[in-house]
Order: sequence, then structure tokens, then C-alpha cells
Amino acid sequence: MSLKRITKELNDLGRDPPTSCSAGPVGDDLYHWQASIMGPPDSPYAGGVFFLSIHFPTDYPFKPPKISFTTKIYHPNINANGNICLDILKDQWSPALTISKVLLSICSLLTDANPDDPLVPEIAHIYKTDRAKYEATAKEWTKKYAV
Amino acid sequence: MTTNRGARDSKLEQDIQDVTDPRDFLQTSLPQMMDIDTLLRCHICKDFIKIPVLTPCGHTFCSLCIREYLNRELKCPLCLAELRESMLRSEFLVNEIIESYKQARVHLLEALHKHNKSVAAQDEDFTIEIASGDNEEEASDDDIKIIETRASRPAKRVIGTVTSGGKRARQELGNSGITAMFGKSKEKAQGETASCPICNKSFSLDYLQRTHLDDCLVSMNSAVKTEYKPTSEPETKSKSPGFESHITKHTNRYLESGQNKNSARLPKLNFPSMSQSQLKQKLSSLSLPVNGNRQQMINRYNHFEMLWNSNFLDSMEPVSERDLRRKLASWEASHNNGDNIQGKSSISTMLSGKTTLSRLKDFKNDRFDRKGWIRAHRTEFQELLMEARDSLKKMKNSEQSSTSHSMNKPLLDQVIPDSKDVQLQEMQTETDQLREEPSSRI
Repeated sequence: MSLKRITKELNDLGRDPPTSCSAGPVGDDLYHWQASIMGPPDSPYAGGVFFLSIHFPTDYPFKPPKISFTTKIYHPNINANGNICLDILKDQWSPALTISKVLLSICSLLTDANPDDPLVPEIAHIYKTDRAKYEATAKEWTKKYAV
Repeated sequence: MTTNRGARDSKLEQDIQDVTDPRDFLQTSLPQMMDIDTLLRCHICKDFIKIPVLTPCGHTFCSLCIREYLNRELKCPLCLAELRESMLRSEFLVNEIIESYKQARVHLLEALHKHNKSVAAQDEDFTIEIASGDNEEEASDDDIKIIETRASRPAKRVIGTVTSGGKRARQELGNSGITAMFGKSKEKAQGETASCPICNKSFSLDYLQRTHLDDCLVSMNSAVKTEYKPTSEPETKSKSPGFESHITKHTNRYLESGQNKNSARLPKLNFPSMSQSQLKQKLSSLSLPVNGNRQQMINRYNHFEMLWNSNFLDSMEPVSERDLRRKLASWEASHNNGDNIQGKSSISTMLSGKTTLSRLKDFKNDRFDRKGWIRAHRTEFQELLMEARDSLKKMKNSEQSSTSHSMNKPLLDQVIPDSKDVQLQEMQTETDQLREEPSSRI
């Protein structure tokens, strides 16, 4: 079941790719994909290209895919290991979601961080108290790691 | 996953061929079918719904898909409303609609493709005339979108489809949906007779439009069911004996459907309160094997309960208990592998022998070699980059016409200046070809 569904999603992505993201398998292992996301233009990540690694569990889509950033990024909900704090990747996962929808959600997480449920409290604190500083650092990191 | 690699690959190939896509209809003169094709699919497995069941919140899924999901989460995958297995109700009508649609789908697509070709050939001069005589409408959203998605197809066909499927055709020709669909036009309608695009016989135009086309379409569909020969006298075919009952098979099955007499529901068990021997007793009362450890026995019961309830409560044509036990055995063979932790074993088999395995071990912790990873997969990442940029360009082009993807819209050339060399572009076209391959095979 999982393999067929993953194949279907790959086919969908090929035919109708979501804007500003792309994804596909690494080699011939369909359970392991990588993806890229363009930094949204209305965010401090604009101009950067961020890579992500996607792992499908064998019981996908009943369990969410494991997604993490491989490009370093300065964001209250993404930690140094690239782990993403996003509800739909955890308890709010639904098998009706697809990789394409998840990538779009990650895009909008980059535009609108969620500092009230942070993965990196320090960044969340700066985000809330000194927005300009947060944006400057995020831009700097983007330039350094993602361009 | 226990099968060897060759078998897995051929299985995969089969799977890829089996994957049908609603967008198959985009290239035909009936793009409206895409919606129906999408609606008849399960949101869990993304395939056509098998044994549909309805939730109290009004959503429909495959019986097995939703039952398996409800073993983990007690909510509807679509609206997240609370949901339990006992609330599911089977939908015989939907079942028959889907089964009957699945049979017709192949023939419908085939007929639409054949038709497209013949219309394009017959009415070539004519369609071009319409298209050029209507420039101010040419810029309407619908039309541009259609052209965009078919940029790679021959111009002749594009014009044909735009004229027939587009908004303009419907407005201009207004009088009959079917006429518009087949790219016939008013001007032609002024002639005395015309030939039917389906059976190629000549009729007075009025009769053709009002009566014959409908009839011919119906009998074409019938011809499709027995043996697909669209031009070979469909009318005589439809009169062949026993034919009607064959096409109305699903209607009949629906009319005969009803509550299954042996519909005893297998209950959910409260495993923590059960002793090992009680569990074994329960399994043997169902003639299930009692080997393996406790967790394996629990998994076995849970899966069997799911198969049982789906089969005896939801299915219109339940199979025997013996068949269910066989299904259970093959599920166990592919899932347990003598390893308690479901799935984990197969993932490691999948990854073993791959160079990525050693790197992946550290993926979730600080020791993960990020730079090494990026270096090792540089080409793949670059391909992804090119693809992203390519889709961006396409999006920019269609920006004025398309309003559907409002998210992240104005993504930009200034993001990455076009400094990449020719080699990358070659790589890009290669990936494009690779991507197109699976879809063209379907």
C-alpha cells in the first residue's frame, strides 16, 4: 500500500509540481526522498534554497513522513539538526495529506513562524522581542548557508 | 519486502502502470471528467475506492484504509471529527458507481482520444477559423490555462481542444453542449446534412443534434462494454441478446444488495486485561495460529478483525473465512519477519547495501555530516533546484491567467541569477524526460 501511494504522489508531483518546491526520490529508493524549497519572497529567507530530506515510514500514509532540513536555517520552529516543529508532521498528521501539501505548509511556516510553540526558545524569544534582529540574523544565515 | 530485488522492481513497475491519474482527461475534449475521476478516489490510498464506507461526518474511504487508520487514530482523516469503526456504514451505491466507472473509464479515454484525432483531422480548417475569429475571448483565463498545460502537444490538437472544451466554444455554439463538445459549429449547422462523428452516417442536421448524437453516444458506450469497436454498427450490437443485463450488471447488483445475514462483528479486545492463554483461546476459536509472542498475536488478531469486519460488514461480495485467513497469512509474512518492531526491519532491508545507510544513522543527531551529505547528493540537489526554478518560470508565465495557486506567488528571478552553465541545463532536460516517462506510460 505505502509503495503504491508513494508512487502515486511522485507521479502527481511530476505532472503538477507545487510552486517553489520540488521533491523526488534519492536513487531508486522510493522511501527516501529529498526536496528543495525556495525561501518565500516575503520572508527573511528570500533568495535562499533550502534542502530537506524526507523519509517515508513503511506504514505511510498512516504514519507521517519524517522531514528535516539539511540546509541550516535560523527559525524558531526548526532546530540545529534540521528538525521541524510542525503539527501536521506530528499529532495533526492525516493520511489525506500529501508531501506536496506538507511542503507548502513548510513554506508558509517560513513566512509565518509560530513562536508560541517553539523548538528553539532562544530564537522564539528574539522573534517576539526584537523582530528586526531576528530578521537580520535569518537573512545572514540564508546568505551564508542557503545561497 | 521479503521478496528479492528483481521481483520487487517488477512489482513496482506494475504499480506504476496501475496508477491512473484524473489528469488523463485533461488532454481530452472532456476535461470535466477530471473532477469525477478525482471524487471517486480514496484520500488515504489515492486509488479508486474499494468497498466504500461512509463516516457520520459524510466522508467516504476504502473500508480497509479507514479501518487500518482507525486502529491508530480515532478521527476522520479529512475533517478530523471523532470517528470509531462501529460508526462506519457501507455504501453499496457508491461501490457500484465506482466499479462501473472503472470499467467504462478505459474505453471512455480511448474513445475520447480517437475522437480528438478524427475531429482534429476533419475539422482542421474550420476550427482554426473559429479560433482566429474570436481574438478578444482568446485571452480569457480558461483558454490560456488549457494552452499552457498542453504546450508540448501538437498545435493542431491544441486548437481543437481549446475550441471544443473552452468557454468560448460553449458560449458561441451555445445551442448544444454535445455539438460544442465535438467541435461542430453553427456555420456548419446551416448545411442540410452532416455526418455523425461517432458512427459516420449522414443525417439531417437537426436530427443529428437533437436526437441522433445522444442515441449514438449511448450505443457507443454499449458497444464499448461488449467489444470496443466504435465504428462498427453500434445499433445492431445494442440489440444483441443478453446485452442489456450485461451493461446493467452493477445496477442489478445494487438492487439485490442488502444486509448480510452472517454479519457478526468481531469485537475489539481489551488486550491488557487478557492473559496469554485467553488470547490463545480467542485466536484458536477463530482457527488462527497461536505461535509467536504476545505482540505478534495481538497484531494478528487486530488485523484479522479488520479484514473480517471489512469483509462481512462492508463488502457486497464477502469472501470465505478461509480466504480471510489466507490474506492474514500473507500480511503476516510481509509485516512480521520474526521481528516485533513492525516496519523497522523492512526499512533497514531497503536501505542495506546502500551507501546512504552509514550516513543516515546519524541523521537525527548532531553528528550528522551535513556537508558530506550535500556533497554526496550534489547532483540530485541540483536537479531539484533546476526543477524548482523551472516550475517557477512556468508559474510566472501563467501568473496572469492562473489564480489558483495564490500561495508564494511572486517568486522571482532575482532569487537566483541565471549563472548556471549548459551542463546543468542538459541535466534539467534529462530529469524532465525521466519525469515524463512514467506518466506517458499510463
